[in-house]
Amino acid sequence: MTGRSRLGRWPMLLWVAPALALLVVFVYYPVVENFRLSLFKWSAFSKEQFVGLDNYAHMVADPVFWGALFNNVAYAVVSVVCQVFGGLVLAAVLEELVRGRLKGILRTIYFIPAVLSLTVVGLLFTFIYNPQIGLVNGFLGAVGLSQFQHSWLGESATAIWSIIAMSQWQNVGYMMVLFIVAMQRVPRELYEAAYIDGASRIEAFRRITIPLVREMTLLAMIITISGAFLVLNEVWVMTAGGPDNASQTLASWLYKSAFFNDKMGYAATIAVAIFIITMAASIVQLFLNRGKSVQY
Amino acid sequence: MTIGKRLAGLLATAALIVTACGGSSATAAPPAASTGASSGASTVPSAVPSSAGSASSAAPALSGSITVLDKYGDPRYAPYFDGVAAAYMAANPNVKVTIDHETDQGVKDKLTAMAASNSLPDIYFSWAGDYTKKFVRAGMALDLTAKVTGDWLNSFGSAALSAYTYDGKLYGVPITLDAKYLAYNKKMFSDNGIAVPTTLEELLSACDAFTAKGIKQPIAFGNQFGWPAIHYMTQLNAYDVPAATLATDYNPATGAFTDPGYLKALQDFADINQHCLTQGSNGISHENAQANFINSKVPMHYLESVEFSVLTKAGGAPDEIANNWGFMKLPAPSGAAGDTGALEGAPDGFLVNANSPHVDIAVDFLKFLTSLDNAQKLTKDLGWLSPIKGSATADNTFPQNIQVVDDISKASSMAIWLDTVTQSDVAKAYLDGVQGMLDGKKTPADVVAGVQAAAASAKSSQ
Repeated sequence: MTGRSRLGRWPMLLWVAPALALLVVFVYYPVVENFRLSLFKWSAFSKEQFVGLDNYAHMVADPVFWGALFNNVAYAVVSVVCQVFGGLVLAAVLEELVRGRLKGILRTIYFIPAVLSLTVVGLLFTFIYNPQIGLVNGFLGAVGLSQFQHSWLGESATAIWSIIAMSQWQNVGYMMVLFIVAMQRVPRELYEAAYIDGASRIEAFRRITIPLVREMTLLAMIITISGAFLVLNEVWVMTAGGPDNASQTLASWLYKSAFFNDKMGYAATIAVAIFIITMAASIVQLFLNRGKSVQY
Repeated sequence: MTIGKRLAGLLATAALIVTACGGSSATAAPPAASTGASSGASTVPSAVPSSAGSASSAAPALSGSITVLDKYGDPRYAPYFDGVAAAYMAANPNVKVTIDHETDQGVKDKLTAMAASNSLPDIYFSWAGDYTKKFVRAGMALDLTAKVTGDWLNSFGSAALSAYTYDGKLYGVPITLDAKYLAYNKKMFSDNGIAVPTTLEELLSACDAFTAKGIKQPIAFGNQFGWPAIHYMTQLNAYDVPAATLATDYNPATGAFTDPGYLKALQDFADINQHCLTQGSNGISHENAQANFINSKVPMHYLESVEFSVLTKAGGAPDEIANNWGFMKLPAPSGAAGDTGALEGAPDGFLVNANSPHVDIAVDFLKFLTSLDNAQKLTKDLGWLSPIKGSATADNTFPQNIQVVDDISKASSMAIWLDTVTQSDVAKAYLDGVQGMLDGKKTPADVVAGVQAAAASAKSSQ
């Protein structure tokens, strides 16, 4: 019997123990503790009081919570369409139609917004959306569409959509790069064979590219949808959830409930809701894509 | 470990996770209410020459380290406080003072998190009103009544001290004096032949007159984060609601907000908005709006006296406005039921952590910070008024600031900011409701109903 087999699995467990300990302490323990704390009424300035499911009842009756959830869903839907689908199309166009130095230049141009600080981008778009001096209203006025001018971040009907639009601008390039990486792993022979058989570029995109980047698409969907339910920074920098909570998202409402309204227990309840939603979305996507990966 | 500590840690972790998983490579940056400053802790560097004369020089040698949390992270303001701390450390070589500078908004987040985890610094910033009372009720603010005495006590203007006095006890040391005024461009008024208004009705007429002359929306107004509108409501509530009723309603244990004056105040604000204010204001920052006044595009702007320096030549304002601006209290409506002599404003101040192991150093540092020399330096360096008597002179500040000191001394009472004087649920109902009003989604009656519901909720949780 060798020394290795005598030790059995212990060395392996030893190697994974640090990472496991970090996960337990910084991820799993807070999640479990958060569930427990959602059952308490508590503020930074008062003692805790067990209230059972009162916080959950309050959340269900809270119109701001439902408005925030709607905004998150809108964020997710638009992000999937613009970032995942748009990023896929953009990647395919760059890979298939653009050649030479221009390809690298365009790739860089599309990717640059993704590396900018969200605070900087948020402030930049605050100016772009400014009703008096902003580029958007200026452009609309210049082309005779002044009836469509708005106080984009100041009206409840347009605030969240303006933030969502900014987010698409910033992140579509990131998704594009992910898809480019996936597409570069697709063997060129498949495309050449398809073109010899008379396939058009669109058919090749549909029948070769899309199936062979399915796993990356799944990853992009998970990143996008999970991210959409965790959106905080964009909202906080541009509107702080206003006007009159019209652009709150679940994360910004959690933050405001905890640190402005001083309702820590209620904030923990919202955190539970976010956890359940993002976990469910990820499980559903993994289940739907189970066994569908394409090998080549 | 208490639930408090665990939850504070948990929320901090959750905030980090949310930030990290927010879909992008961003940093969380809550919007600054009135400054765009960065934040960060700074241990004061090398000492600067002390012009203030250490109040502690004759005291027994102090030894130890204290931390201070303020909201003066703006690069224009932080050097003053760093300089005072450096001078204090030079006078007390065995003492180390570390100042953590934050922004208006950032300090609220940090104070809440620190209070939750029972880790408040030795000295921390707090607004007057219920904001400070929260710390008092929780036993986190030291009773300074027996500490601030004698010449030190007498050096303060009484209005500033009363803002931090609750149940006859002093809990805060005021360091600035602030009031809200309607600044106006004298030249634009005279060029257009329009008289400076003295009542709210005259103000509305003046706005209409400017509009008729092509100067639309003549009061520059940006309400991106809600508080600028609340400043109008602070003054209008003081005008339209009897003072005794206000005092009752601003107390979370007794607040009801059923007086008809609250609705009248909101209607007055709706009138001001309709006749005078910049439209689409929820999408415009206070600073962006202010630029229109500084550049003489509009004739009026409602601002705090601590902002006055931006209207001076030294503050970078063009000659056209720097040589031609005056200010007045927001004109009161005729026949107002409240105190028309009230002036909106409040001092900013510091509290001492009741659990600080270095109370002696903390109090001594605050004494040094509010010495006459440092108060005069504050006025000279930052253009801010200090609550210390005699700190503003014709030599160290501009004439309008001297007028403010006189005006504050004549005010029958000070109306503390509505969003800090009231319980947080009530403040939130006002902030959200008035934003909704400006957005056309809510009526004044809707806002009053929301405030009343919030007050009832606040009362039941007392």
